[in-house]
Amino acid sequence: MQTFWRLLGFLRPYRGGVAASLGLATAAMGTGVLIPFLVGRAIDTVRRGEPRLWPLAAVIVAAGVLRLVFSVVRRLVAGRVSLGVEYDLRNRLYAHLQSLELGFFDSQQTGQLMSRATVDLQSVRFFLGYGLVFIMQSLVTILVAAAVMVVVDPLLAALALAPVPAVIWAAGRYGRLNRPASQEVQQRLAELTAEAEENISGVRVVKAFAQEARQLARFRGAVARVFAQSMVSTRLRAFYNPLIAFLPQLGLAALLLAGGSQAISGRITIGEFVAFYGYVVMLVGPMRMLGVALGMAQRAVASGARVFEILDREPRIVSPPDAPPLPPGGGRVELREVEAGFGEAATATPVLRGVDLTVEAGRSVALVGATGSGKTTLVGLLPRLYDASAGSVLIDGADVRSVDLPSLRSEIAFVSDDPFLFSASLRENIAYARPEASEEEVRQAARRAGIDDFVEGLPEGYETRVGERGLTLSGGQRQRVAIARALIGNPRILILDDATSSVDATTEARIGQALREVMRGRTTFVIAHRMSTIALADEVVILEDGRVTARGEHAELLERSELYREIAERGRGRPDRVLLAREELEPEAAGL
Amino acid sequence: MRAPEGGAFLRRLRASRRERSGRARKLRGLLELLRPYRGRVLLLLACLPVATAAALAPPYLLGRAIDDGVRAGSTRVLGVIVAVFVAAAVVNWGATYAQTYLVNWVGQRALQDLRSRIFAHLQRLSIGFYSRNRAGVLISRITNDVQALDQLVTDGVQTLFASTLTLIGTAAILLFLDAELALVTFLVFPVLALGSIAFRIASSEAYRLTREKVAWVTAYLQETISGVRVVRAFGQEGRHEQRFAELNDDNRQANMRTVNLNAAYFPSVELLSAVATAAILLYGGRQALAGDGVTIGVLASFVFYLNSFFDPIQQLSQLYTTYQAGMAALDKVFELLDEEPDLVEAPGAVELPRVRGEIRFEDVSFGYGGEDGALALGDVDLTIPPGQTVALVGATGAGKSTFAKLVARFYDPIRGRVLVDEHDLREVTQRSLRSQLGIVPQEGYLFSGTVRDNIAFGRPDATEDEIVAAATAVGADDLIAGLPEGYDTPVGERGGHLSAGQRQLVAFARAAAADPRILVLDEATANVDVRTEARIERGLRRLLAGRTAIVIAHRLSTIRRAGRILVLEDGRVVEDGAHEELIEAGGAYARLYLDWAEEAVG
Repeated sequence: MQTFWRLLGFLRPYRGGVAASLGLATAAMGTGVLIPFLVGRAIDTVRRGEPRLWPLAAVIVAAGVLRLVFSVVRRLVAGRVSLGVEYDLRNRLYAHLQSLELGFFDSQQTGQLMSRATVDLQSVRFFLGYGLVFIMQSLVTILVAAAVMVVVDPLLAALALAPVPAVIWAAGRYGRLNRPASQEVQQRLAELTAEAEENISGVRVVKAFAQEARQLARFRGAVARVFAQSMVSTRLRAFYNPLIAFLPQLGLAALLLAGGSQAISGRITIGEFVAFYGYVVMLVGPMRMLGVALGMAQRAVASGARVFEILDREPRIVSPPDAPPLPPGGGRVELREVEAGFGEAATATPVLRGVDLTVEAGRSVALVGATGSGKTTLVGLLPRLYDASAGSVLIDGADVRSVDLPSLRSEIAFVSDDPFLFSASLRENIAYARPEASEEEVRQAARRAGIDDFVEGLPEGYETRVGERGLTLSGGQRQRVAIARALIGNPRILILDDATSSVDATTEARIGQALREVMRGRTTFVIAHRMSTIALADEVVILEDGRVTARGEHAELLERSELYREIAERGRGRPDRVLLAREELEPEAAGL
Repeated sequence: MRAPEGGAFLRRLRASRRERSGRARKLRGLLELLRPYRGRVLLLLACLPVATAAALAPPYLLGRAIDDGVRAGSTRVLGVIVAVFVAAAVVNWGATYAQTYLVNWVGQRALQDLRSRIFAHLQRLSIGFYSRNRAGVLISRITNDVQALDQLVTDGVQTLFASTLTLIGTAAILLFLDAELALVTFLVFPVLALGSIAFRIASSEAYRLTREKVAWVTAYLQETISGVRVVRAFGQEGRHEQRFAELNDDNRQANMRTVNLNAAYFPSVELLSAVATAAILLYGGRQALAGDGVTIGVLASFVFYLNSFFDPIQQLSQLYTTYQAGMAALDKVFELLDEEPDLVEAPGAVELPRVRGEIRFEDVSFGYGGEDGALALGDVDLTIPPGQTVALVGATGAGKSTFAKLVARFYDPIRGRVLVDEHDLREVTQRSLRSQLGIVPQEGYLFSGTVRDNIAFGRPDATEDEIVAAATAVGADDLIAGLPEGYDTPVGERGGHLSAGQRQLVAFARAAAADPRILVLDEATANVDVRTEARIERGLRRLLAGRTAIVIAHRLSTIRRAGRILVLEDGRVVEDGAHEELIEAGGAYARLYLDWAEEAVG
């Protein structure tokens, strides 16, 4: 119920429109009720043998015209309200998703999120846009017709209206039963979407392992689960909807019997009897509609609860109100006693456990460590992609949590190992952080990232679209575009998270040259596994088990750190044995 | 970012308009889905007239109640009529129950079959198809578009039959009651029909536009969720919100037109109903006064039949909207189903027997643009003996991935043949080929599920021992044991709960578990840190042992360790030999090697 009232809250900005459409619905129904009344009068006129039917017919047409005017205006008003609500709701959800921190997305399946933002949003907007109008309109009709009937003949009115409570009971019961059922349908549809998403994204793996048949069987399972649940829902609907239509018929039957008897005894005229029948007939549609709309309301509440789950999820990474911008400086970074976990469960085993690290402005450090040692988490703390669970991170003397977030992020640029490019032109992707960048600036960034030759060789040059609907770039090309994207904002701090992993050695050498240049004058964090990339940095920081275990220049560390020595040896390309598999069958492999 | 309004998109849009021509075929395709459920469809068709007849009874019974009960002054007859009235209502309830249940059962079942068919079809399409099409759009075919068809096949079918029957039934009863008055009533028919057709035409275009706009909104949402990391890192939330609001507003504007059209149409139908009521009273009343056979009861029946006369017409015209939406979805679904798999199993393709692992390229050329486009690989002619490890070397775009993809038959060559143990890959079943071929892609894509599920992906029947052995072989065993729940640790969507290195190791174990004769490794060691990599290098040696391997690697150690090196330049093999030979030859490889060696030292 609370969800319901909250959903209604979305209508608040449209109070005027809602009130107007309610008023217009009442007016339309008022004129609508006139018609059976006039039909009754006409029938009595005929019965009495009076030939003056023209005036009555004219009034019926006039009532029809009046109802047309009210209805047209009501539909225009209500339609605008419903579209407005939909528009607001979508924007609000999107803006909220944009306000949530990365950790939230790490813990959510994209398919599930999409399902909430599309399927669930749809049932909410259907209800707020149309369902609610149906309910109000139906209630108005029932009330207006009931009022007229009670005035005309209270006894017949009581008989004809007797089923109304039963209808409302049935509709309510239907809603209660159907709500969990339809909620489960939505849930299973979301699972189906997630299943489809995963299989389509991972199609290369499925094909590589020839697992089409098994994946299809799994998918069929998900499909069958949706079917089974929608049948549960269908059975309820198949029983209750006709029941809700049946009950008013009992009222009509009672009216037929009692009203007919009264007409026989002459207490009412045949015309009045027919008019009464007309009022009750007018009620049947709205009563049924009430049932349908209540079902819609139930679905909307179920979906609304899921939408609110997102809307109620407070953004955990926000700048305090009136936060000052990041103070000017050269990008000095200081981590004090930092502890941090990954994703939603910040309380889980921390990835970083007490990191103290200061990097002077303009210096560059290479972060080196095993998988899971916390390198990526550490650099994620600087632009506040994640927050530390303890300790503090300072940039140019300011705690990152105390400064304005956009000003912080605009000073830090990120190049990751698997860069995401948008479905847009190369120019738009490179100028992502600064859409207003000039053609020359874009070109220059591309040049510095070593991608200019490639781009300028394309028929459409910088206007070439990339991404899912455009040109497919190799991993190395994407990384260089991402490097250009990072450079365009002239950031104070540069983070290269395995940024050269997908480029071949020749290209790397070329990028290395470029990187050396762009790193000059910027504080740079380099996460790398290749000696050649590590060598770009002024000094090396070794992370092991979430702690800094060694730090120093290359030569120094060669002596002090075993891990570093290991890396360095590999990097130097110690003489590997040439593997000729035919000659070298190892016993372990045979056991597979 | 701009709206998705590239040239390619518009071309596809135009193509989809042309698509509409084949609708009869598509509707037949839809009907085809119902075939397995004929029995239930027939039962449904039997319920419909019963429900309709019962629903049409009340106005007629009212007329009889007035004429035979009230005016004849017979309470007994009135009682009988009321009893029939209640009985009709009960029958209507029962028949509607059966009808609703059956129509949903059949409709839902058919759509679930369609979903599975789309999914199965998607699986048959080549990798090339997936690089041309957005994942989001393909997902939407299975989810949203099928959902849109739901309306058509359940509500739509029910409305179509029920409303048509109601119309015919009403017309028949009216003619039976009084033919002259019935014909007067039917006069409004042309007006209503013309108005409805005009409304249809205008609204179908409007609805098409709304679907297009909302698809853009969804695509944008999908993309910015997928790229959320970049959005956050560069702090561009505001810009995306603004762009989203613009797309959202386009959607609102498109919907506004449908609201306006509906606002004009439906109230007009109501007005027509009032006019018809006035006409019946006027004309019928005069007939009654003239004692022309029209009784007061018949007059009342006519007035109330008018309700059930206009309702089905309104519903049928509303159905047209459902039909439009459904057909648009059907067009899209069929566009996908009509997509011919470009890698088809040859008729009479044979099972590839257990191979030794010899790979032969016979004058193979390949280009992504087909015959006319640029060649990604040209005139490659070579043989890789069983068990040999071949390292592919060359700059980005030189054709290394293409070479590997041809071995895996992700594509077919446009000229020449690729053979495994003398079998042309085009003449063997894809399944039998892939079951003997392991692929470790650049990004270790994992499926949500446990580590164990993922390792056993290529061999679902693998035993616990085999899974552990596979993990051990690639040096992933202790790493997996260190995870919170060991082999039962959920890896999350796309393996997101694991680090890149862990993902890679699990992907290796997955390849090892499948125990392939031939292994294709695509830059597999690139993302792994030194310690993990040392483990992988060890495991890899064991994995490669006894198998033919095509390795795309940039790492010196891997290249040097390979028994044979192929140097590619612009899609051609320019050098071919072992490390020492190539160094001695002093060609491209020697130059590259010197560069690397120098860099490694520097």
